Amino acid sequence: MIWLEYAIFQRALIGGIIIGLLAGLIGIFVVRMRLSAIGYSMSHSAFAGAALGVAISIDPLLTALVFSAVTALLIGPVADKARLPIDMITSIAFSLNMALAFIFLTLSPQVGLSSEVASVIWGSIVAVTNRDLVYLVILCSTTLALTYLFWKELFAIMFDRRMAEADGINTKPFIYFMIFLVGIVVAFSLKLVGGILVYALLFNPASSALQYLHDMKKIIVLSPIIGAISCVTGFFMSLIFDMPVGSCIALVSTLIFALSVTFSPKRKRRVKT
Amino acid sequence: MAPIIELENVSTVYEGERRPAIKNINLTLEEGELAYIIGPNAAGKTTLLETINGLLPIFEGRVSVFNLDVEKYGREIRCQIGYVPQDFMVDPGEPYTALDVVLMGRYGKIGVLRRTSREDKERAIEAMRLLGVEELANRPIGKLSGGQQQKVMIARALAKEPRIFLLDEPFSNLDPESRDKISALIDQIRRERNITTIIVTHDIGQISDSCHRVVVMNGGRIIADGKPSEILKDIREFLPKEYWWSSL
Repeated sequence: MIWLEYAIFQRALIGGIIIGLLAGLIGIFVVRMRLSAIGYSMSHSAFAGAALGVAISIDPLLTALVFSAVTALLIGPVADKARLPIDMITSIAFSLNMALAFIFLTLSPQVGLSSEVASVIWGSIVAVTNRDLVYLVILCSTTLALTYLFWKELFAIMFDRRMAEADGINTKPFIYFMIFLVGIVVAFSLKLVGGILVYALLFNPASSALQYLHDMKKIIVLSPIIGAISCVTGFFMSLIFDMPVGSCIALVSTLIFALSVTFSPKRKRRVKT
Repeated sequence: MAPIIELENVSTVYEGERRPAIKNINLTLEEGELAYIIGPNAAGKTTLLETINGLLPIFEGRVSVFNLDVEKYGREIRCQIGYVPQDFMVDPGEPYTALDVVLMGRYGKIGVLRRTSREDKERAIEAMRLLGVEELANRPIGKLSGGQQQKVMIARALAKEPRIFLLDEPFSNLDPESRDKISALIDQIRRERNITTIIVTHDIGQISDSCHRVVVMNGGRIIADGKPSEILKDIREFLPKEYWWSSL
């Protein structure tokens, strides 16, 4: 574990833990509010933004944030205006962003698959800076605080949006806010996990946690823990086998999901009855 | 008595459809009134409830509840309405307990940034006790039978302590004994608290003795509205034979 003596790896490890916690938490909302298409779309809009940053030589985090925020702010209102399902709008945004991402990458002044371009696509351990860590801590604390403050409303919307509306909860701002939050979390996760696989971290921990428990209050704690375990294990796997960190994290989280489905106590109970 | 629910020439169109689901509806209900809405499938009964609840956009006309425009004050109005949707069945893997679901009925009333209090929990448990599902409070909602889930949804509406009940086929999954018991309970609470109540049913046999009005719908329109004795006597005139024959 000589690696951990270096600040660069310490930063990546701490960053991975925070990203895992955040993505695991947000993932539960994404899965339960049926915003899965948003997860794909936001990860690819952040990817397109980062690719633009590389192409015009400015901080990819900044452009990823701008792209994510703009996409997030547009999806909900456009779906409402067009009277189309959110999933349909996000699918269109997804293809547009992927097209833009590859155009921006081909416009990059760097030759071939340079390290910066590769890190945008696959993620990189060396990309996490002290500044990124500060932002991640602020984002994580803010997300936790907002989840605590609006837990009641989020809890009801995750059960059934229409019933929550019938009970007098104004669900629209919460859905829009969640879309926005997904965009921001994805943009911050991009450096470590990469644009292609970041959505795996949104869905896999949440889907795994839902296999084990019947209580949403416990699931919301378990999912971030699985997210953090996926990131830490993927991080060490990447170091040991010299493979892209994003791919390793996606592989580990998928393996955890496969094990969760296989050994799910929910399924066992259902077989008995 | 003051009108609580007023619909004037109301038409509602579902998204993506051209034909209105309900057309030119005029209906006024007073405080404490109990009305049954009957009619065959696709008559517009559920649409009417969702229009009163402000869950559907109004294409034409005006809906006011407590003298407030539903389109403007929908959220405030819904906080005062105990709504039981039709055939609300939950997936077996749903990670919510029955108590969670009943307590949620009070969330709109509690308001944003406020936590649920001990009193909220007591009201939810009391509603479950009245419905006979108190012992199921900590069971996952998806693991309950259809009838038990329906009782939980009625408990949710009761726990809200509403001024209006909108109940869409609330007894469809219940056995006759439970149906009579819960129907009597709803009626008792309605009388004690003067709650305006609309119950949708396709079964004429479910109309309780204390019903004030029967509204008959067909093809998205109200085709008859009056006292139960008058309406049920002439039901054969209003609705197709298959309907009243199966309901008798």
